[in-house]
Formats: sequence, C-alpha cells, structure tokens
Amino acid sequence: MVASIPSDERLLDLVIALVNTPTRMTKEQVRTTVAGYADAPTRDAFERMFDRDKDTLRELGVPLVTVTDVGHRDDIGYRIDLEAYALPPVDLTGAELGVLAMAGQVWQDATLRTDSARALTKLRAAAPSAQAGDLANIGLAARVGAGGAALAPLLDAVQQRWVVRFVYRAAATGEVRTRHVEPWKLAARRGGWLLVGHDQDRGAPRSFRLSRIEGPVQAVGEPGGFAHPDPAEVAAAEQSWMDVAGVARLALLPERAEALRARALPTELPTEPGDADGHPALRGRDIVEIAYRATWELAEEVVGYGDAVLVLDPPPVREAVVRLLQAAARLDGSAGPESTAGPEVIAGPEGTVGPAAPEVRGG
Amino acid sequence: MAERAADRVLRLIGMVAYLDAQGEATLDDLAQRFGVPQDQVLADIDTLWLSGTPGYQPEDLIDFDGFRLDRGLVRLTQARGMTRPLRLGAREAVVLVAAIRALVEDLGPALDDTRRAVLTSALAKLTALTGSTTGSAEAGTVTVDLGVRARADIAATVATALAQDRRLRLRYVNAADRTSLRDVDPVRLVADAGTGYLLGWCLAADAERLFRLDRVLEAQVLDTSAAAHDVPADADRFVPDGTATVVTVRLASRARRVAETAPVAAVRNLDDGSFEVDLPVVSTAWLEHLLLGVADDVVAVHPPRVAQQVAATARAALLAYEQLATDREDG
Repeated sequence: MVASIPSDERLLDLVIALVNTPTRMTKEQVRTTVAGYADAPTRDAFERMFDRDKDTLRELGVPLVTVTDVGHRDDIGYRIDLEAYALPPVDLTGAELGVLAMAGQVWQDATLRTDSARALTKLRAAAPSAQAGDLANIGLAARVGAGGAALAPLLDAVQQRWVVRFVYRAAATGEVRTRHVEPWKLAARRGGWLLVGHDQDRGAPRSFRLSRIEGPVQAVGEPGGFAHPDPAEVAAAEQSWMDVAGVARLALLPERAEALRARALPTELPTEPGDADGHPALRGRDIVEIAYRATWELAEEVVGYGDAVLVLDPPPVREAVVRLLQAAARLDGSAGPESTAGPEVIAGPEGTVGPAAPEVRGG
Repeated sequence: MAERAADRVLRLIGMVAYLDAQGEATLDDLAQRFGVPQDQVLADIDTLWLSGTPGYQPEDLIDFDGFRLDRGLVRLTQARGMTRPLRLGAREAVVLVAAIRALVEDLGPALDDTRRAVLTSALAKLTALTGSTTGSAEAGTVTVDLGVRARADIAATVATALAQDRRLRLRYVNAADRTSLRDVDPVRLVADAGTGYLLGWCLAADAERLFRLDRVLEAQVLDTSAAAHDVPADADRFVPDGTATVVTVRLASRARRVAETAPVAAVRNLDDGSFEVDLPVVSTAWLEHLLLGVADDVVAVHPPRVAQQVAATARAALLAYEQLATDREDG
C-alpha cells in the first residue's frame, strides 16, 4: 500500500476530475476513483473528508455545483460549472501586477491578506504578457489594521446578505446586548473597523465598531435574507458616526499649534492678539477658524495642546474638551466633585467614539 | 508555518494555466511570478506530474517536457483541461479592489503622474474584471479610509520630490508643538493606522524619520538631488530606540482603539474588561497628547509622574477655560 496522499494533491486531483467529467461524478465515483479518497478508512471518514474538500474548493472560488439525477433522487452528483470557472481575460502589465501586489500587502488582517494573496495568484496566472520582474517601485507603503475575529464572518455575511447576530458593548452606556443586524458594508478607517448596517432591534441604520463585538458573530436565517440596501441610505448611515461637520473658533497662544494654524480658514475676524472678543482671558491669543468633521475628532486633537488652544465655539466641542480635561485632571488621584461625570458626550450615534490619533513618531 | 493546502492548490492550478498560455517559462520566472523559491517550483512540478484524471495512467496525467526541464525550462505538454485561470472569489475581488481603491484615492494626490497612472489603470482593470464576477452592489461593501490628510500643495510638492529624487525643505511642527526647518531626502509615503507620513532621511538628525503629512506646514523642492541613504525596509514602522521609556496605561474596554493605533509594545487583557498597554515613549509630548485625548477611558498610568504631569496640564487648561467663562459672565 502506498503512503497516504497529501490533502493538497487530493484537492488538485478532485478539481481535475470534476473539470474533465463529461456530465457529473457521484460521491461513490469520487470515493472509488479520485486519488486520495481511498485513504479514508470508513464511509464516515470519507464523508467528512469530501465535505471538507468541497468547502475548501468553494472557498477558493471553484464553482462546484450539485446535480441531482431525476431518476435516482438519492444519487447526488457533482461537477464544476466551466462557464463560471474561468477568469475573464485581463491584460495586466507587470507594473500593474506590482501595485496590486503592494495593495494586497496593505492588510494587516490575516483573513484579508489571505484573500488578497489568492487573488494575486490567480491574476498572475492570467497575465502571461506581464514580466514578473517588471514591478514598479511605487515608493509607498500603507497598512490597515486587523479587524479581529469578527471581520471574516462579517465579510462573508455582507457579501451574501446574511443577517447576523452578535453581542455588542455600547460605548455610550457600556450596555452589553445582543444585536440583530442586516450587514451592509465594512469600513476601515482611522482607529479601526466599522460595520454599517440595519439594526433590526432598533429598526434603524446603525454603525458598530468591530472592536466592541464580544464573542462570535452568528449567521441568522438564510443568505440573501435582506434586499440590497439603498446606496444613499448606506452612505447616510456611514456618515452618521461623524456628527455635523462645521467650523470651530479657537484661541491660540502665540507661536503655538502651528499644525492647526496651517488649516485655518480665511476669515474676516480680527486675528491680532488683544482685541479678540474683548475678553481679558483672550488677550495675547490669536483667533483662528478651522473646519472639522466630528466633535470628538476635533476635541481629541485640541485637548492635546492643553492651555495653548482654547475652544470658543461651538459649545459642544468646548464641552467635550472640558470633559476630557476634567477626566485628565483627576488622573493623579485628585478627584474633584465632578468625578462621576459620564463620558458619553463624545459618543456618536451608536456609540462610535472617535479613534485615538497616533501622534508623530520621530521627526 | 507550513503552507495551507488550499493556497498550494491555487498556485498549482495557476501554474498550469499560465504555462498553457505562455508556452514556456524559466524556473526563475515561475518562482518570481508566484512568489516562491525555485525548489518549491520544482516540488510543484513534481506534484503536477503525478496529477490527472481518474485512472492515473500516463495518458491521464499532466505532463511536462522533461528534456527541457533539465535545462531549467518549463514547458507543459499536457494540461488535462486545466487551461483556464480560476476566477476571483467574491471576497477576494472585493478585498483587493478596496485596497487598490484606497491607495488611488488617498495616496494618489501625493504621487507623480506616472505612478498614479499605474495605480489608476490597475484599479480600472480590476474593477472591470470583478464587475463581471461580483455585482456592482457588492463592489462597495468594503471601503478603506487611509486617513492621509495632506494639503494639496504639500502633497504635490512631496510627489515631485519623490518622482525626481530631489531633496525637500520642510517647515515641520513636531508633537511637542515646536516648528523647525528640516532638509529631508524623501524615501517613500507611508499610510499607517489612519495617518499619512513621509519617510525620509533627515539631514539634521542624520537618520531616517517619519514626518506626519498633516504637520508639514510648508514644503519646497530643492535643486539638490537626494542622496542615497541606507534606510532599512522596515523603517516605516515605529521602532523605539534605546532612549524610550516604557509607560504602562490601563484603559477601559471601549478605548480598545488605542491598542490598535498606537505603537504598543504589549497588550494585556484584564478580567474586568479593561486592558493594559505598554507604550515605548520617546516623546513625552506625544504621550501627553495621547492621554489627554482618551482621558475619560484612562484607569491608571504608571509611572505616577506621568499621570501627575498630564493632570497638571489639564488643570492649567481648565483654569484658562474658567477665566474665559468668568470674563463672559462679566461681559
């Protein structure tokens, strides 16, 4: 008896057999004729082996279809849909393949890296004219952080429009609750991954931070469980975690916060020190106006400057900064009377609190 | 780590389709194209040689020209019907499109025309390709914001310097809010954890440095060519040097993003849902900025002097706000 056949060789032989079969292969034919399956000692072992292999091939994008013979209902057969199997012709140059390879490297998430690497293997096989060595040094590098255990099942659920259930810790309240969500899209941005979808329990669109999903993501019902979302509604739901963008008025100490000054809007306001609003506390400060996208985002940036930057308007930004300052002032144990103040002020619609800004690291 | 069976199968299928279309390839071409050592290519050929349709008689098997193989040339003589490259899976397509689209949209403005054109054409071809395998509705199900927010004029200047290999003069404000002029030989653009940087060789420091693009106040291309510098491949990752001190911060669970975005040396999850991060700190200004921004989620900071310093900064700012409020009431 020969040594057992490795699973990669068995999988390859299964694909070749199914590509070449004139009509279909029954399970029994697979078991008795395709190299490797004779290694399964029992019927059950074969079933498990074959089920796993079918899953793997589908995961790789091989369009495996089930064919039932009308005359023999129990007699399930398999074949590969050759129409759907092939990659359409694609004329990628070596430089284009190079930047696609670099794009795949963006992902720090193992699942997304694997998906990208597989796509690249297929594209390389399909672009014979491209010179392998002709890879442009594009002069850039990008990284997008991992999404945790929730990302892979959510990716599948989004593609298949499959309702999901998961336990979520709300940022604003800390409340932990099971959510039922129609997953619309996944978005990676500063500070992590977001799921945008329709919260069935709330009956409204919501966004969820993947880092606050606790435990497994479970599919509910069947694929195609909800209609394609309206793109405008998706966009609105995604934007909702950014509250109303606007213009903030800041009072800066001289020669400080140059990064904010560089973004200052042209303004009619007096910017000379001393006459700003006529407040003695503002004497010697420069007033600038800058555009911002979200209260929490600006608050987080501005608070880092301490007393060098004061927020004059709008009040929600100023209050968010003051609350952060109050929390920070207690860090050395000098608890003030407001020590029970809740942190929920900077929460977005569904507890999407802004990400921390990774500050300059060198330079 | 051993290669997963699925990934090897994909390469084996890809090699046959490629060789069928190409006619003949060198071992080196196959190794480079599929990103594996030549030994692995030979092992793959050996596997393919034994693979085929049931029966597995010589005429059932994939076959190569053995005579040419001895000279390092790979020519397929029997493909057993495996001539088509495999389509992209829905997830594969969506993930790769999202990555290349993010590069085009976020880094495109800071690239010269030639490089941007390559990115754009790669995206266009991939989109055309995947539009036929996945519906257009699926195409936008994963999006990425790399967070590169540079002023347009600065992005364009940096692009010119990178493309022409010229030295840059930057007016730059650092995390400690100090502004200085730096002469920099640009190396590459970096987008990491939602922030855009220029990796460059700082002449004053005589070392590579990461410059946050949103802290570049002015940029000017100098007439001087950029010199060649020995910049390690991993220089665009923050690696603290010997001068870093480790600060441990315990944070409430909802500040998880800190562990994901800050350069942390270690993360420890605690039973109550909170977690601790060890931060190698070179710049205390950077640390103070970070802690103030997440102050309402900070449970504890070690060493205590860091907490005292941050609290003192916060109290000074609160005092300024109080004076402002008093003024307003008076006025």
